[in-house]
Order: sequence, then C-alpha cells, then structure tokens
Amino acid sequence: MANFRLNRRAVLRGAGTVAIGMPFLEIMTPVARAQAAPAAQRFLAVFQPGGAVHDDGTGANKWRPTGTETAPILSPILAPLKPMMDAKKLLVVDGLDMTSKNGEQHQAGIIAWLTGNSQQNAPSNGGVPTGTSSYAASPSIDQVLATKISSGKKQIASLEMAVRWGTGKAHGLLSPISCANFEDNAKASPIAPRIDPVQIFKDLFGSLNTSGTVDPAAAAAVDRRKSILDHVVGEYNSLVPKLGTADRATLQQHLDKLRELELGISAVAQASANCMKPTQVDTSGYNPGSGVCGANCTAADSGANKDIATDTLIPKVGTYMMDMMVMALACDLTAVGTFQWTDTEAKHTFPWLNLSEHHHFYQHDGGFKAAECEKISTWYSTMHLYLLQAMDKVIMGADNHTLLDESVVFIGSEISQPPTHTNTDMPFLLAGGAGSFKGGRWVRYTDKSNNKNSHNNLLVSILNMFGDTRTTFGNAKFCAGPLNNLT
Amino acid sequence: MSALTLRIIPRRLSRLGWTGPAALALACLVGCTAEVGGKGMPGPNNGGPNGPNGNGAGSGATAGGASATGGVGSTTGGAAVVSPECMTGVHPGRAPVRRLTRFEYNNAVSDILGDTSAPANSLPPETIARTGNVFGNDADLQSVSSNLADQWSKIAADIAARATGTSDALAKLAPCAGGATPDDTCTKTVIQNVLSRAYHRDAQQADIDSYLALEKAVQAKATFASGIAAIIEAMLQGPEFLYRIELGKPAADHPELRKPTADETAARLSFMFWGTIPDDTLRMAAKSGQLDTADGIKTQAVRLVNDKRARPVVRFFFDNLLPISGLNNLARDKTLFPVYSATFADALHEETQTFLQHEIFDEGSTGTWTSVLTAPYTYVNETLASFYGIPGITGSEFQKANIPDTTKRLGLLTQAGIMTGTITTNQSNPVLRGSFMLNKILCMNIQLPTDPAILAQVKVPEGVTGATARERFTKHREQAVCAGCHALIDPVGFTLENYDPIGQWRTTEGGEMIDASGSVPGTDGTVNGPVELVKKIASTDAAQNCFAQHWMEFGYGKTLDSGDSCVQQTMNATFKNSGGNIKQLLVDLTQTDAFLYMPAKD
Repeated sequence: MANFRLNRRAVLRGAGTVAIGMPFLEIMTPVARAQAAPAAQRFLAVFQPGGAVHDDGTGANKWRPTGTETAPILSPILAPLKPMMDAKKLLVVDGLDMTSKNGEQHQAGIIAWLTGNSQQNAPSNGGVPTGTSSYAASPSIDQVLATKISSGKKQIASLEMAVRWGTGKAHGLLSPISCANFEDNAKASPIAPRIDPVQIFKDLFGSLNTSGTVDPAAAAAVDRRKSILDHVVGEYNSLVPKLGTADRATLQQHLDKLRELELGISAVAQASANCMKPTQVDTSGYNPGSGVCGANCTAADSGANKDIATDTLIPKVGTYMMDMMVMALACDLTAVGTFQWTDTEAKHTFPWLNLSEHHHFYQHDGGFKAAECEKISTWYSTMHLYLLQAMDKVIMGADNHTLLDESVVFIGSEISQPPTHTNTDMPFLLAGGAGSFKGGRWVRYTDKSNNKNSHNNLLVSILNMFGDTRTTFGNAKFCAGPLNNLT
Repeated sequence: MSALTLRIIPRRLSRLGWTGPAALALACLVGCTAEVGGKGMPGPNNGGPNGPNGNGAGSGATAGGASATGGVGSTTGGAAVVSPECMTGVHPGRAPVRRLTRFEYNNAVSDILGDTSAPANSLPPETIARTGNVFGNDADLQSVSSNLADQWSKIAADIAARATGTSDALAKLAPCAGGATPDDTCTKTVIQNVLSRAYHRDAQQADIDSYLALEKAVQAKATFASGIAAIIEAMLQGPEFLYRIELGKPAADHPELRKPTADETAARLSFMFWGTIPDDTLRMAAKSGQLDTADGIKTQAVRLVNDKRARPVVRFFFDNLLPISGLNNLARDKTLFPVYSATFADALHEETQTFLQHEIFDEGSTGTWTSVLTAPYTYVNETLASFYGIPGITGSEFQKANIPDTTKRLGLLTQAGIMTGTITTNQSNPVLRGSFMLNKILCMNIQLPTDPAILAQVKVPEGVTGATARERFTKHREQAVCAGCHALIDPVGFTLENYDPIGQWRTTEGGEMIDASGSVPGTDGTVNGPVELVKKIASTDAAQNCFAQHWMEFGYGKTLDSGDSCVQQTMNATFKNSGGNIKQLLVDLTQTDAFLYMPAKD
C-alpha cells in the first residue's frame, strides 16, 4: 500500500471501522516510501490512426529521425515537434515491435497498443476472431494506472475523449475497431470515449468552482447526490448475491463504478493555481454522432458517407478538446486520460489539408498514397505539439514545474507502415518530465532477440514510472522486462 | 493448405458434433479450398445455417485469410427437420441479464413519466459485436464505464427535475403530490406508482421503507419536490430499471430449469415487441396468471405485435439490418446524379420502411419474408414515382404502386434505397452489393482478409479501367489469392449491375451492354439479372433461416451460440411451416424454449 491515501469522507466513515486498533495519525500519514516518490503523477495516451510512413515507395523513411541519439534530426513527419525535442521533453521510441498484436490488423493494433495483448478469440496464427467478443484479452495500461493513481481519488477515474469517432464500420458504436481502453477487471470490458465537445464541457467544467471558496449550494447538491448514490448502491448490493455467476459479474462491475462515482464526488480537487475553465468554443456544425448510421450501412463501411461539414471542424474541435483534456488534468478532475484522434477506420476527410478522401483510402483502400499519408501524419504532429505545449504552459507548483513535467504522455498508433499494416518499428513517442525518462533523444531498439524490442516492455516501463514495480504487462510471453536506456 | 485458403468458420458451433460429407459441397462448388472439420458443423439434420440438404461449408483450419461463416441452404426446400436431440427435453440456451438500450431507455422514461425528450441519446453508445447480433443489444457485450455510470446519474437527475418541476408535474406522479401539504402517505403513493412501472413489479414494503427514508432525508435539507426527485433519480439508476433482472422461479415441468416469473415474462414481451416497459394490460395479465402458460403468452404476443406500438421496433430492426438509415449522409456526384439529394435519400429510406410496414402488418397482405423479397409493388411519393417511371402518383404522401416492369425490379432487395446504400462511390461495385446479400441476407458472413501473408500478396490494382464493373473487377478472378472469396461474392453482385449507384435501371455502362449473369453460392444453376437473383435468394432455406436468425438475435438480445442450436432449429422449422409469415415469426419467438424457460442458476 505504498500509495495509500484517504479522502476526508473515507476518514469519517473509516474512523469507526478500519482505523480501529491503529493510531489515528498513523493511517492519516502516507506510508513512508523506501524510494523517492515517482515523478510521474499523470498519464495521457494519445492515439493517431494509420501509422507512419516508413517507406514512401522509393525506400525513403518519412518518420524515422536521422543523426544521433542525442542530436536527432527530425524527419518530415516529426519535424513539427522540434520545440519539444529541443526542450528535452520528447523521446522518440523507435524500433519497437507490437509483437503481442494478434487478430484483425487494425482492431488488434489498437487493442494491443495499450494492453500488450491479443484480440480475444483471434486464431493463434492471426486473422479474424471467431467469437462474438473480440475486444481485449486484458486491461489497458491507462485503466491499470487509473486504479492506482486516480480511481476514487479524483472526481473522474479516467477520461477518454475522441474526436470524429465511430467512423466507417464502427457505425458510431463501440466496436473493436474504435476502442483503445479496457477496464481494469477480469472482463477487460471496452470503454466508450466521450465524443461530444458540448457535453464534455458541461460535464467537466459546467459546475467547476475555480474560485477557491466553497459554494454552499454546490456542497448541498453534492450531499444530495451522495444520498441518492448511497441508496442506489444499496439496491445493487442486495441484488447482486441473488444472481447467477455471469450476471453477478455484470452487476458487480456496475456496482464498482457506482462506488467509484461516490468516492469521486467526495474527492477534493487539488487543482493547480493555473486551473481554469477552458474558453468555451462554439462547435455548432460539428456532429459528434456523424458515424451513427445503423449497424449495417455499407456506405459508411467504405467511408462513402461523408460529412464534410463535420470534417472541416476537426482541427477546431480537436484543439478545443485538447484544451479540455489539459485542464481536466490541471484541475485534478482526473489523473489519467486518453485522447483518440478518430478510430482505426479513420474514415473521415481532411478538408483543411485539401484531402478529399478518407485516411484509410490513402493507406490502402485506394492504393497506398505516401504523400497524402505523410501529410496527414505530419498534421498530427502539429496537433501533438499543441497539446504538449499547452501542458507545458500550466504551472503546477512553487518550483514552476509544469503539468507536462509531472506527466507521461504516450503517443502511438495501431499500425506502422500504412499499406501493409505492419506491427514492426512502431511509431511511438513519449513526452513528459525529466523525472520519468531522459528526453531530447531518439532511442532505437534494434535487438529483436528474446522480445527485447517488444512494445510490452515499454508498457512495463511506463508502469514503473508511476511506481508500479511489475516486470510484465499484457501477454507475459512478450515481456523481457522494462526497456533499457530510457532514463 | 496454401495461403489461398478460404477460411470458413462456423458461427454457431453445434454441440451435436455432426460433420457430414455434404459440408464439402460448397468448398468444391466455389473452387476455394475450405477444410472440413471443426466442432461439428451444422449438418443436414440440425437446421443450422444450412438448409436440410446442407450445402454447408467446413471449418477451415488454416487461419488468417478472408473468412466466411456458414453455408447456403439448398434451393430445394423440403420439410424442415429438427434433430432428435432437440425433439426431447427443453433447451433454452443462455439468458444473460439484459440492459436497456438507449432506444429502450427513452421509451421507458416516456411511459413511466411522460418524458419524451429522448434523454438517453446523450449516453455513450452500445457495444456491438464484430459478428453476429447487428442490433447493438447483445447482452454479453454491454459493460459499464465510469463515464456511463456518471451519465446515467446525470440524465436521471435531469429527468427527475423535469418530473417534479411544477405542481402539475408532481400531480401526474400522484394527485396528492400536487397539493399544498403532501405527507408521507402521499410519498408512499408516488413510490408505488413510479416503482411499479420502472421496475415492472409491485412495490414491496422494503422498497417503500427505503425510498421513503431517502425522500425524508433529502426533503429535510430541501423541499418535498427535491425529495420526490431523489426517489426518481435513484430509481432510474436502480438495477431493476436499467437491467431486466430475471430471478425466475422453478420450472415445475422441468426441475433442472427455471421459468421467468409472470412479471418477468410481461417484461420479456413488452421489451421484445414494443421496446419498453409492460403496459397495464400486460401487468394485469401477469397478475391473473395468463402469462403462466404458453397459450396465454401467445395471446398477449398477438396483441402486442398487432398494436401500432410494435411498428417503431420493427422499423428499428430493419434500420439496423438494411443499409438504408445512413442514406442521407451519402455523397453522390451532383452532375452524374442530379436527382440525388438528402431529401431524395430520405424518400428512399421511407419507401423501404413504408413498404415493409405495409407488407408485414396490413390486413390482406401476404406478409411473408418471401413476399417481401418478391413483392411486385412498392410505396412511392411523387418524386420516387417519377424516378421509377410510375405514372399517376402526385404529392409527398407515400402510396402503394405496382412496379411497372417486374422483369426489371421485384421486391425489397431491388428497391433503390438498398441498391444505393450498398454502393459507396459514383461507380457501382458488385463486391459491396454481393457482400451485403451474402452476409446479411444469407448469413454467410464473409470477412475481409487480414492475414499478413495474404495481404502481402494483395496489390490493390492501380489505374483500373474498363467500361463495365465486370471489366473493372477482373483482377479478383485473376489473382488466385482473391478469387477464393470473390468467386462467391462477385457473381451475386454482377446480377445487380443493371442498377446504377443510385438504383436506377440501366442496360449499358460506359457505352457497353451490361452482362448481368451470375449465380448464388450453394444453389444450382445461374441467374441472369436482379429479378432472377431475388427469386433465387427467396427460394433458399438460407434466406429464410437467416431472417429468423436476425430476429432471434434481436429479440433475445444476444448472439446465437451452440447452446441455442435447438431453439434455432425449432424456430427455422416453425417459420417454414408457417409459410414464412413474419408476424407469425414474431409471435412464435415467444413460444420457444428460449422465451418460456431459463437455464438453471449457475
């Protein structure tokens, strides 16, 4: 229990129960740690679809840097991120293979990205899963971290957001094609991201009090909501034991989430001085439900359902949603986030880049179009720069360290080379503070023996940055321990 | 096995373990190398996806290629056969606890509180299966995220505030609640009224006590209205509202099983046919014991199916099964297809839905799946009449009209909405149309190839030219790696080439005559043109069984698995014996082991 913490309400409840026999003050004091506190306090995963361009058809690599480890010359795709490289807050993690990926290529890719595990029911030697459930075989790293650093401690255990989500075969629903996050429980159930910028603002910041003083009406509302949740929890508690095994698991999961919600509304936000409501942006014209078209619309499957009006607003809405993600972290609403730029179908157009077909079309549906893929990937880099700079502007403490400094940001994709959908040399980036890893470098893992360059090792390393000392994550057979040369 | 293997996977692994030589037939027929094996493919006698004569496909042991599920039944029909194992005993299959979909939540809140604001539309979406249930209501897949729990809580608060916002609103919960000084007795009345609807059972003393305690605690710090709102807010997050909890009762005739209680049966009926909570008549039927017998259940099922409230559910079913609900988002070149617009697309959507409602529900209509697939008429407004060349129809109202030339167009699958929704660009594509027919109408489920070894061999042809689709799609047949599946798919799609990308009839493309000849996998002979295609499809057991399968998956809220094999066989036989009548199929969904029984609690 290295990280044992109690919030005020738990103390009030616990004073009569768990604290019996313990000196009161002792349980209120964090247990002394044998080692220095981990620097990483917040985790953000950022997904961009469609990989990088490792070979444009002429053999030219448009993603991989050149130069040396400590003096990398950024490739065209990564060039926009130079300010972060110069600030030594960016690490290009090159040469890792997503060896745990197994199943339908895009689906298995986005599933393996944060889980280090295969798609459920995938045949052992690859291919389309045979069973109904074809999501992740085990939890994703963000959810594991949420359990450790966020759940019940922050208002929201983890915050999943996606821009222009549910395109193509996802049909606007939660599908293995569209899902990166999986619950930290035995079922590893998929988690649908929040996609509506208007609703996200209302939910996160609508009633956020940044004044520093307690609003009595808001406090009363919280009390009332607790009473109601207590009642609801009671109903689940009395019902769950009456059910069969499978149904019990279903409702137990619901019960766990209600308890987390109860704890969350009691959690006292420890917002930074720079916590503020993001400027509300008018997103009218943007249809977050654009992908919804019934469970079987072939036209959507292929990307022929075009919503140019919504697509046009992607940069504006994406920027706004990044702002909200940054402030959700800065205001301590949550400590764990995932930001998804669309699903792996990536079936939307890029009017602002003058690209009238969808990303998947350029990947291979319309034959591999390297220049277009490079253009799209490069644009994503500019968005990543915006995000990282926004995080680096938020001062979190007296020593002027920033939100980025106390965060680990993991940027990745579901495939590597667009037309072949490979899982080798994954285009991964880490961003964050010096306490977690040594930035300003391009680290290339070339030893492919004994899973030494398996991306599971990166997931293990990330967990270690948060004080989780495990040596394997996801499918253990692809784990060789944490990556070397990160710090 | 080479990488050229067509992988054919049985979706419902039969427990019966029969694998017959007939399973080889499809493989040979289509010239792809499918292996036979696996865990007992549906054979001739178990009525799985195959028809009685079982041109089934084997289960490929070589993974990774494109995959196809199931086979196509024979064209010849004959009596449907139920395997001996299913003739005795009761085989209900699994009955996982079902959660309200957003559609059902909205309907339920409307019926409980008169709140028609469709509040569930803001909830995170349902989880869909990769294969199987295409309706977003597969109970096994739904899970609760932190966000969903939070959103349920938030919309419940909004709904409760609306339901208690004025004294008029309060009076609707119970007349006393709108009065000046409502007391605890009044609160108890509200609890009884709302709970009996939201939980579709009578309130017990324990319910009343605990909800009264909640109300008093909240009211003490606020108002009566706030206290009543707290009751509603809690109830709308309660397990018996959000889930269809079925504890069941011992089945007297089969002690190893359970049966749903009368209240649970009432909920099964109302959610299946109306997508909402039971109405008063159903609650009464439950109390009177009418729902304790299959006949009594059938009586209520007939009532529900024939009520207009069944229509939105049937509409929802077809919106999810057919490629019509996204038509108005579909881009078409304005120069090539000047008639096509969002309004026109909406008309196509309405044509199909209106036609289906009439053919299925009207007195005097045949109302079979075959009659839907081969109807010589449709419903059009003036715009569509002009598009189809139907004289004498004016105005925006949809009216019944005979198809002018039934050698060019016949039945549901040739409607312009289906022909448009299956095409993604400004050029027709026989692969997409063929895939739709095989996957969704015949339940063959051919998936895209994913094996890297196969993909490495697949080169998307650059600069393909050719006047007709048949010419443009020649590569499929030249590349052996592609031919396996495309030999199944393309010949179906080619027969639909007489329809352009918005479903208009044509005889030439790019100045060349269209060759609309093709074939349907698993059937004998060839077909020429769309009308022969739909007649051939309509004659297969596979099409009938596939339609019944979609209804079972939708109605029972799951993806059928091996444990549902007997229910499925019985249902296929019942559907066939009823002449394929759709309303009867819906009613018969309530007469199966799956509906009448539940497995023992594990």
